[in-house]
Amino acid sequence: MALWGMVIDLDRCTGCQACVMACKAENNVPAVGADEAKRGRVISWMQVLTETDEHHQGKMRFIPRPCLQCDDPPCTKVCPVYATYRNPEGTVAQIYARCIGCRFCMAACPYNAKYFNWYSYQKEAPGQNPDVSVREKGVVEKCTFCHHRLQNVRERALAEKREFNPSDYVPACAEACPTKAIVFGDLNDPASEVAQLAHSPRAFKLHEELGTKPKVIYLTEGEGGG
Amino acid sequence: MAEMHDPHEEVLLAPIERTGRGFYFAVACLSALILWGAIAYSVQFTQGLGVTGLHQPVGWGFYVTNFVFFIGISHAGTLISAILRLSKAEWRRPITRMAEVITCMVIFIGAGQILVDLGRPDRMMNVLRYGRYQSPLLWDATSISAYLTASLTYLYLPMIPDIAILRDRLAKRKLLYNVLALGWTGTEFQQKVLNRAIAVMAVLVIPIAVSVHSVVSFVFSMTLQPSWHSTIFGPYFVVGAIFSGIAGLIVTMIIFRRAYKLHYYLKPIHFRYLGQLLLIMALLWFYFTFAEYLTGYYGAEPEEMKIFWSKFTGPFWPFFWAMVLCNFVVPLVCLARLKAHTIGKVLIASLAIIVGMWLERFIIVVPTLSFPRLPFPEGVYWPTWVEWGETAGSFGLFALFYLLFTKFFPIISIWEIREGRESSVKEVEERIISYLPGDAEEKA
Amino acid sequence: MENLPQVSQRLVRGLQWVWVGCAFLLVGGIIAWIIHLIIASWRLDDVIQASVGISIVAIPIFLVFMGVILYVFWGVALHGRKRED
Repeated sequence: MALWGMVIDLDRCTGCQACVMACKAENNVPAVGADEAKRGRVISWMQVLTETDEHHQGKMRFIPRPCLQCDDPPCTKVCPVYATYRNPEGTVAQIYARCIGCRFCMAACPYNAKYFNWYSYQKEAPGQNPDVSVREKGVVEKCTFCHHRLQNVRERALAEKREFNPSDYVPACAEACPTKAIVFGDLNDPASEVAQLAHSPRAFKLHEELGTKPKVIYLTEGEGGG
Repeated sequence: MAEMHDPHEEVLLAPIERTGRGFYFAVACLSALILWGAIAYSVQFTQGLGVTGLHQPVGWGFYVTNFVFFIGISHAGTLISAILRLSKAEWRRPITRMAEVITCMVIFIGAGQILVDLGRPDRMMNVLRYGRYQSPLLWDATSISAYLTASLTYLYLPMIPDIAILRDRLAKRKLLYNVLALGWTGTEFQQKVLNRAIAVMAVLVIPIAVSVHSVVSFVFSMTLQPSWHSTIFGPYFVVGAIFSGIAGLIVTMIIFRRAYKLHYYLKPIHFRYLGQLLLIMALLWFYFTFAEYLTGYYGAEPEEMKIFWSKFTGPFWPFFWAMVLCNFVVPLVCLARLKAHTIGKVLIASLAIIVGMWLERFIIVVPTLSFPRLPFPEGVYWPTWVEWGETAGSFGLFALFYLLFTKFFPIISIWEIREGRESSVKEVEERIISYLPGDAEEKA
Repeated sequence: MENLPQVSQRLVRGLQWVWVGCAFLLVGGIIAWIIHLIIASWRLDDVIQASVGISIVAIPIFLVFMGVILYVFWGVALHGRKRED
């Protein structure tokens, strides 16, 4: 059984946010508008966090943060209605039709990876990605590792009567990154690039001590610095 | 028992028999508050939670604060009724009914806050159809259902003899009182049955009440967030609930004592004892708060300290220090000596505590959410008129429910007062004699 | 009830049964709901220990409520009434 995971090389990340824009376009993430953005309601499944180093003036680190797809997710534990759960392939799914909008999962996520639709920010319209639903007000949403792309790839393989090729499944952010900082694949396949990078001496997980077992693994900057 | 033993009992039945102008005025004022709340909620229902001040990362604000606060107030009934009944404290007699009614009414308001907080209230049935027991919200649902059932039963059972009095004395609502009185005639057998049932409920209601506010605290402490993931939350919230519950009870008692002229029944001694209980709870609350913050401060974990300083000197300092003032300083000053001006002092302390305990819930919910672990943009939460309106409407609705109750049933338990007069004096005398030194053959 | 005519007495008795019936439905409904959640958790292969654990405590408590309500109804309204002094 595949275990989908991601490695993000912080040494390669330039903070260009191509991943953010690709994600928003791919997943019909609404642009909430300037007023709402001022009130702190931007929805950004992939978000680039900036960390400044107190001890080294001028050093800044860019951390692209999708949903970390934890293997022991604090968010799924607290959902009262099975609206978010971890599927057998390791992806933490979000069921918009079930969500009651209690926002408990948002309060529980240590990475702030979950976002809420405070209004109905958009209606269904041409130009959106038809593979992804358009969310109404009152539900929580988050990065799904572009799960619809996995479904597409699987269906295509079925239609063409061939084996499904895991390297065909690439989320929008990994596809868009110009420096190839984001690597995606099957962590259970020892031959895959993602599995090998995950064991790199530079590899670390965000807030690993919390025990969430995230499947987005970061590679820290090398000797040359960020 | 159809005859009045005491002309003073007239005053206990007066609100049920007659309605004065004061009542209509009160209803008008409360209706205005409720209307504000209703308009606020309808705006929120149609447009979405965006009309509140909530945002990323502060996803919980006033509504969750109100939820914890109102469920906390509900602990008034249990403490007074159940514990005082079990410990045979005679001074409880005029108080029990008022306390039990608070509990029953305020649970609805408290549970309603969560429904108001939902992004999709049209899907609230999902909790019933697809509930997950691993989620603390389901523990809440079960615990609050148990508490509601227990409180309604515990309110109704001691009301049966009083409803029988209404059935026999009053000309109006004959059908209602006849049905609810269950054919009570005061026979010895019926009294034995009722007393046994009340005793069982009194014992059962206490652990359920403890579980209710523990489980409400678990909504926070079961997450991994700094300043929430603390083992002290269960007992801390229960202590806080009893604390705010007694304060709420005292304010209610003072209001109705004035409005219904119950000075004969609610005497300064009752307020003095409640005030002493309140003082003990203030000290207990302070102890828990001190232990909690000292632990955080001493450990000095960076993420916890961010939140710690935000409360002590940072953006939340006015609320934090107002909370300490209202919950500790004012009660200590007012309640230390209650011989003179009892009711005035106890009223000021209680009002301060109600405000202070609301602030305490706010101080628990919002600062933790405002300072995320990761370098996420920080949040500043400002409530909007919608949230203020919903809060005002909730208070108004609770007060209205309570007021309507007093129009149908006596707010002081008539038969328990009679029982106190007729049998308690002798019973207490016998009890005290049994404590004093005597021969060993005394029956246990 | 001495002050009511015969027909009203029957109405009152009927309504008292309805009253107890409501209490019975409320408590019984909650117990049925808890069992439903256990079954749902088992079907969806979720953490069933939580459901079972909580129901072991909650269901007996609700059964006690039902028992108390029925006991009072029996003792006061049914059995107790025959011995009107």
